[in-house]
Amino acid sequence: MRRSRKVCPVTEAGIRFIDYKDERFLARFISDNGKILPSRLSGVDARHQRQLAKAIKKARYLALLPYTRGHTAQ
Amino acid sequence: MSREYEAVYIFDAGLEDAAIAERLDKHHALLGTTTPVTLDHWGRRQLAYKIGSKETGYYVVARFTAEGTVLPEFERALKLDESVIRYLISVHEHELGAPPMTEEQLAARRARDEDDDEDEE
Repeated sequence: MRRSRKVCPVTEAGIRFIDYKDERFLARFISDNGKILPSRLSGVDARHQRQLAKAIKKARYLALLPYTRGHTAQ
Repeated sequence: MSREYEAVYIFDAGLEDAAIAERLDKHHALLGTTTPVTLDHWGRRQLAYKIGSKETGYYVVARFTAEGTVLPEFERALKLDESVIRYLISVHEHELGAPPMTEEQLAARRARDEDDDEDEE
Protein backbone atom coordinates (compact mmCIF):
# COMPACT_ATOMS: atom_id res chain seq x y z
CA MET A 1 0.00 0.00 0.00
CA ARG A 2 1.28 3.42 -0.94
CA ARG A 3 1.08 6.32 1.44
CA SER A 4 -1.12 9.12 0.14
CA ARG A 5 0.87 11.88 -1.48
CA LYS A 6 1.62 14.85 0.74
CA VAL A 7 0.87 18.37 -0.39
CA CYS A 8 4.10 20.29 -0.82
CA PRO A 9 4.74 22.20 2.44
CA VAL A 10 6.03 25.22 0.52
CA THR A 11 2.90 25.44 -1.59
CA GLU A 12 0.78 24.91 1.47
CA ALA A 13 2.50 27.73 3.36
CA GLY A 14 1.46 30.02 0.49
CA ILE A 15 5.02 31.15 -0.11
CA ARG A 16 5.44 32.98 -3.38
CA PHE A 17 9.16 33.21 -3.38
CA ILE A 18 11.61 31.25 -1.27
CA ASP A 19 13.74 33.84 0.47
CA TYR A 20 17.32 32.89 1.30
CA LYS A 21 17.21 35.36 4.20
CA ASP A 22 14.39 33.54 5.98
CA GLU A 23 16.51 31.04 7.89
CA ARG A 24 13.68 30.03 10.25
CA PHE A 25 11.73 28.71 7.28
CA LEU A 26 14.73 27.13 5.54
CA ALA A 27 15.77 25.37 8.77
CA ARG A 28 12.71 23.14 8.39
CA PHE A 29 14.28 21.61 5.30
CA ILE A 30 17.69 20.66 6.65
CA SER A 31 18.63 17.65 8.73
CA ASP A 32 20.18 17.81 12.21
CA ASN A 33 23.57 17.61 10.58
CA GLY A 34 22.77 20.47 8.24
CA LYS A 35 22.15 18.48 5.07
CA ILE A 36 19.38 19.50 2.70
CA LEU A 37 16.51 17.06 3.20
CA PRO A 38 15.54 15.04 0.12
CA SER A 39 12.13 15.90 -1.24
CA ARG A 40 11.02 12.31 -0.72
CA LEU A 41 11.21 12.98 3.03
CA SER A 42 10.00 16.55 3.11
CA GLY A 43 7.32 16.17 0.43
CA VAL A 44 8.43 19.36 -1.35
CA ASP A 45 7.57 19.42 -5.05
CA ALA A 46 10.37 19.46 -7.59
CA ARG A 47 10.16 23.13 -8.52
CA HIS A 48 10.27 24.27 -4.90
CA GLN A 49 13.00 21.76 -4.06
CA ARG A 50 15.26 23.40 -6.66
CA GLN A 51 14.48 26.87 -5.27
CA LEU A 52 15.01 25.64 -1.70
CA ALA A 53 18.37 24.09 -2.48
CA LYS A 54 19.64 27.38 -3.92
CA ALA A 55 18.23 29.41 -1.03
CA ILE A 56 19.80 27.09 1.56
CA LYS A 57 23.18 27.33 -0.15
CA LYS A 58 23.01 31.13 -0.13
CA ALA A 59 21.92 31.15 3.51
CA ARG A 60 24.87 28.91 4.40
CA TYR A 61 27.29 31.27 2.74
CA LEU A 62 25.86 34.14 4.79
CA ALA A 63 26.27 32.13 8.03
CA LEU A 64 22.51 32.07 8.57
CA LEU A 65 22.54 28.27 8.42
CA PRO A 66 25.36 25.88 9.30
CA TYR A 67 27.13 23.81 6.67
CA THR A 68 27.54 20.97 9.17
CA ARG A 69 26.84 20.39 12.81
CA GLY A 70 30.47 20.18 13.93
CA HIS A 71 31.07 23.56 12.36
CA THR A 72 28.53 25.36 14.53
CA ALA A 73 29.72 28.09 16.87
CA GLN A 74 29.04 27.12 20.47
CA MET B 1 20.66 47.92 -18.53
CA SER B 2 19.96 48.71 -14.97
CA ARG B 3 18.65 46.05 -12.67
CA GLU B 4 17.40 45.77 -9.16
CA TYR B 5 19.97 44.14 -6.91
CA GLU B 6 19.95 42.97 -3.37
CA ALA B 7 23.10 42.88 -1.27
CA VAL B 8 23.65 41.43 2.18
CA TYR B 9 26.73 42.58 4.08
CA ILE B 10 28.12 41.13 7.27
CA PHE B 11 30.17 43.72 9.10
CA ASP B 12 32.53 43.23 12.00
CA ALA B 13 30.24 43.36 15.05
CA GLY B 14 32.88 45.28 16.99
CA LEU B 15 32.33 48.36 14.83
CA GLU B 16 30.25 51.32 16.01
CA ASP B 17 26.87 51.73 14.32
CA ALA B 18 27.89 55.16 13.04
CA ALA B 19 31.05 53.76 11.47
CA ILE B 20 29.02 51.09 9.67
CA ALA B 21 26.56 53.66 8.32
CA GLU B 22 29.48 55.76 7.12
CA ARG B 23 31.08 52.83 5.29
CA LEU B 24 27.77 51.90 3.69
CA ASP B 25 27.36 55.45 2.39
CA LYS B 26 30.89 55.44 1.05
CA HIS B 27 30.47 52.16 -0.82
CA HIS B 28 27.00 52.95 -2.12
CA ALA B 29 28.32 56.20 -3.56
CA LEU B 30 30.25 54.04 -6.05
CA LEU B 31 27.03 52.67 -7.49
CA GLY B 32 25.95 55.96 -9.02
CA THR B 33 22.32 55.21 -8.26
CA THR B 34 19.65 57.77 -8.96
CA THR B 35 17.10 56.24 -6.60
CA PRO B 36 17.99 55.96 -2.90
CA VAL B 37 19.34 52.67 -1.57
CA THR B 38 16.84 50.90 0.68
CA LEU B 39 18.58 49.68 3.82
CA ASP B 40 17.44 47.11 6.32
CA HIS B 41 19.65 46.87 9.40
CA TRP B 42 19.31 43.49 11.07
CA GLY B 43 21.92 44.44 13.61
CA ARG B 44 24.26 42.15 15.49
CA ARG B 45 23.54 38.48 15.43
CA GLN B 46 25.21 35.16 16.01
CA LEU B 47 26.85 33.56 12.97
CA ALA B 48 25.85 29.95 12.29
CA TYR B 49 29.55 29.08 12.22
CA LYS B 50 32.75 30.92 12.98
CA ILE B 51 34.22 33.00 10.19
CA GLY B 52 37.88 33.34 11.03
CA SER B 53 37.80 34.15 14.73
CA LYS B 54 34.44 35.97 14.59
CA GLU B 55 31.27 34.54 16.06
CA THR B 56 28.96 37.49 15.60
CA GLY B 57 28.32 39.88 12.74
CA TYR B 58 26.34 43.01 11.97
CA TYR B 59 23.93 42.23 9.11
CA VAL B 60 22.69 44.83 6.66
CA VAL B 61 20.44 44.15 3.67
CA ALA B 62 20.51 46.76 0.89
CA ARG B 63 18.36 46.98 -2.18
CA PHE B 64 19.28 49.22 -5.08
CA THR B 65 18.91 49.74 -8.80
CA ALA B 66 22.19 50.02 -10.64
CA GLU B 67 23.94 49.35 -13.93
CA GLY B 68 25.67 45.98 -13.98
CA THR B 69 28.85 47.62 -15.24
CA VAL B 70 29.49 49.42 -11.93
CA LEU B 71 29.36 46.21 -9.90
CA PRO B 72 32.94 44.96 -10.40
CA GLU B 73 34.30 48.17 -8.92
CA PHE B 74 31.77 48.05 -6.11
CA GLU B 75 32.71 44.46 -5.27
CA ARG B 76 36.39 45.34 -5.33
CA ALA B 77 35.78 48.05 -2.74
CA LEU B 78 33.88 45.59 -0.55
CA LYS B 79 36.63 42.99 -0.82
CA LEU B 80 39.25 45.54 0.20
CA ASP B 81 37.23 46.74 3.17
CA GLU B 82 38.40 44.66 6.10
CA SER B 83 35.35 45.51 8.19
CA VAL B 84 33.16 43.58 5.74
CA ILE B 85 33.40 39.96 6.84
CA ARG B 86 31.26 38.70 4.00
CA TYR B 87 28.87 40.01 1.36
CA LEU B 88 26.49 38.59 -1.21
CA ILE B 89 25.12 40.56 -4.14
CA SER B 90 22.30 38.99 -6.12
CA VAL B 91 19.64 40.10 -8.56
CA HIS B 92 16.62 40.93 -6.46
CA GLU B 93 14.17 38.16 -7.24
CA HIS B 94 10.64 38.38 -6.06
CA GLU B 95 7.33 36.78 -6.81
CA LEU B 96 8.55 34.65 -9.66
CA GLY B 97 6.46 31.90 -11.13
CA ALA B 98 2.82 31.12 -10.59
CA PRO B 99 0.79 32.90 -7.94
CA PRO B 100 0.16 30.87 -4.78
CA MET B 101 -2.85 28.62 -4.70
CA THR B 102 -5.91 29.79 -2.86
CA GLU B 103 -7.40 27.73 -0.05
CA GLU B 104 -10.07 26.29 -2.39
CA GLN B 105 -7.49 25.27 -4.98
CA LEU B 106 -5.42 23.57 -2.30
CA ALA B 107 -8.45 21.72 -0.96
CA ALA B 108 -9.41 20.68 -4.49
CA ARG B 109 -5.92 19.43 -5.15
CA ARG B 110 -5.83 17.47 -1.93
CA ALA B 111 -9.18 15.88 -2.73
CA ARG B 112 -7.96 15.00 -6.22
CA ASP B 113 -4.76 13.46 -4.87
CA GLU B 114 -6.74 11.29 -2.50
CA ASP B 115 -8.94 10.12 -5.36
CA ASP B 116 -5.85 9.17 -7.34
CA ASP B 117 -4.56 7.11 -4.47
CA GLU B 118 -7.79 5.22 -4.09
CA ASP B 119 -7.67 4.27 -7.76
CA GLU B 120 -4.17 2.94 -7.45
CA GLU B 121 -4.60 0.97 -4.29
